[in-house]
Amino acid sequence: MVLLRAGLCPGLSEDLIKALLEGAVRTVEDLVLSDPEHLAQKCSVSYKALVAVRRVLLAQHAAFPISGADLYDELLSSTSILSTGITSVDNLLDSGLYTGEITEVCGGPGTGKTQICFSVAVSVAHELKQNVTYIDTNGGICANRLLQMLQEKTMDSAEQMNALQRIGVFRAFDVFALLSCLQNLRANSLQMGTVGSGSVKVVIVDSVSAVLSHMLGGKQNEGMSLMMQVATELKTIAKDLNVAILVSNHVTRDGNNQLKAGLGQSWSHVPRTRILLQRGEQPGASSSLRTATILKSSRQPCYLMEEFNLSPQPQEESQTGFAGKRKLDTDS
Amino acid sequence: MTGRVRMAENGAQLLARIEGRRSLEDIDQNVFPVNGGPLQGDVIEFHGVEGSGKTEMLYHLLIRCILPTHSGGLEVEVVFVDTDYHFDMLRLVSILESRLTSSSPPQSEMEEVVRSSLCRLSVLHCSSSVQLLLTLHYLEGVVCSRPALCLLVIDSISAFFWIDHANGGDSLTRQEANLRKCTEILDRLRRDYGVVVFATTHAVMRNYSSSSGSSEPSGSAPSWKRNSDFDKQYLCRSWQKILTHRLLFSKSEQSSVSEEHKRIFSSACSTVRTKGVHRCVFHLTEAGVQFSAG
Repeated sequence: MVLLRAGLCPGLSEDLIKALLEGAVRTVEDLVLSDPEHLAQKCSVSYKALVAVRRVLLAQHAAFPISGADLYDELLSSTSILSTGITSVDNLLDSGLYTGEITEVCGGPGTGKTQICFSVAVSVAHELKQNVTYIDTNGGICANRLLQMLQEKTMDSAEQMNALQRIGVFRAFDVFALLSCLQNLRANSLQMGTVGSGSVKVVIVDSVSAVLSHMLGGKQNEGMSLMMQVATELKTIAKDLNVAILVSNHVTRDGNNQLKAGLGQSWSHVPRTRILLQRGEQPGASSSLRTATILKSSRQPCYLMEEFNLSPQPQEESQTGFAGKRKLDTDS
Repeated sequence: MTGRVRMAENGAQLLARIEGRRSLEDIDQNVFPVNGGPLQGDVIEFHGVEGSGKTEMLYHLLIRCILPTHSGGLEVEVVFVDTDYHFDMLRLVSILESRLTSSSPPQSEMEEVVRSSLCRLSVLHCSSSVQLLLTLHYLEGVVCSRPALCLLVIDSISAFFWIDHANGGDSLTRQEANLRKCTEILDRLRRDYGVVVFATTHAVMRNYSSSSGSSEPSGSAPSWKRNSDFDKQYLCRSWQKILTHRLLFSKSEQSSVSEEHKRIFSSACSTVRTKGVHRCVFHLTEAGVQFSAG
């Protein structure tokens, strides 16, 4: 809803606005929806001016059509694929996270959702030298574990520090903080334009369910509305800033006792790609073995499964106490 | 309304009005029943849960529209309004290319055909219901001046349902106000200009009352009303009134997935013009929708 005010577009003067107010036309929406002929008579303003203003306002406020060919060219030049740092997960995702899309990892407590988020953050910050925004909603971030992952990649401490510098961590423990965080991110990035160094390539939200799930259920429309606002915000960030978005979600079971992603039907439409994490099934297997299954993708067949190991060098586990696994899963 | 249109008419608009737009009746015999294809001014709803193949089916039909006639298309222009920010151009192009390789032209021409096909498609992104409304009004001018534009796709019309629902407070009228206004302008676009409208709706409402007997006898209820438990129509009445076709999408259960990861999807089409439900079964491959016999 945009209020009509002077200077909104050429030809929209104070006098015209005052006259329109008498016809109960206050917003751009009112003006566009009304019949100009009728309105011109009612408020005794110039029909010609009214039609001109209406046309300009429409052009300003409507979405701008892009030709399919242009969109394709733009996509070809701007889409990049970011490795998650775990080979088998990359295979599953058709070589990694695509910019402009939302990817979701879901899984029960301790299935490695946060570990995948860390791995993506480290891989993007270290290997690709790009900025990462990490929005932590459940207190799961662990700088030690990030450093540990970096140490596996490089021994140079300056490089490690540089990579850590590129990971910006925000804490948002309720949905309003999350929304304002996302809005700031979008506003700041749009302001900076496309200046190379400052731009963010991946936004990680670990986890969306921590701030959303408790508002849902019952007859609460408010919660659904806030959830969809978060979804819209994430989707516009992905498209407008051309970043990859990774969110983590909890799981529930459906009527047939199958695991499915949390947050219900409305959310299920939001991510483009979804993978489900589970613990390795064989009893003798290492405790850090996980399986990832693709539940939704427009590129890969569903139910493709890959195995991966959370800790590539098990001997380090005893030394460091495997700090990452200590995190609390608030979403269980 | 018509008076105003005529006053501001130029040559292209005159042609668009007099000549009429191309009918999409033969868009796909698999999906739509015989004699039940989308005619000028029809509104078709694609309804289904997440991952049930709605968007893939849209791509399939959209490609059929934008391909040139010598490659087996209809060669008409399409406007795609993306409210879900879900439109995957790369996927569309890969389906388009695989469709072309199966139908003929040499490599050198292919790129040209792809480009010219993509030029027939315009994409718009909308992030709020007010923007959608203004965009539809803006499109009225576009539709007016482009006689080749036959299809308007909205993916999805239910995207802002929850946000509008909460913004409207307790009053149902205010909750539905934006969608109702969108429907009004859509109604005008289809009636005055003969544009075919495809719109998807997410199945997010569980139909609890479907099994426990409703007061109406089952014979009188339209056939699409007795189906799965997610087929509840929750959008405003004026939207339901302008619908001429409804396609319900469903997918097979996880357990019945065959070994080569081939998942079976099905759509059930019911129209106001034909009796009964036309079912079709398909699966998805790299090359898009593939119809299975039977």
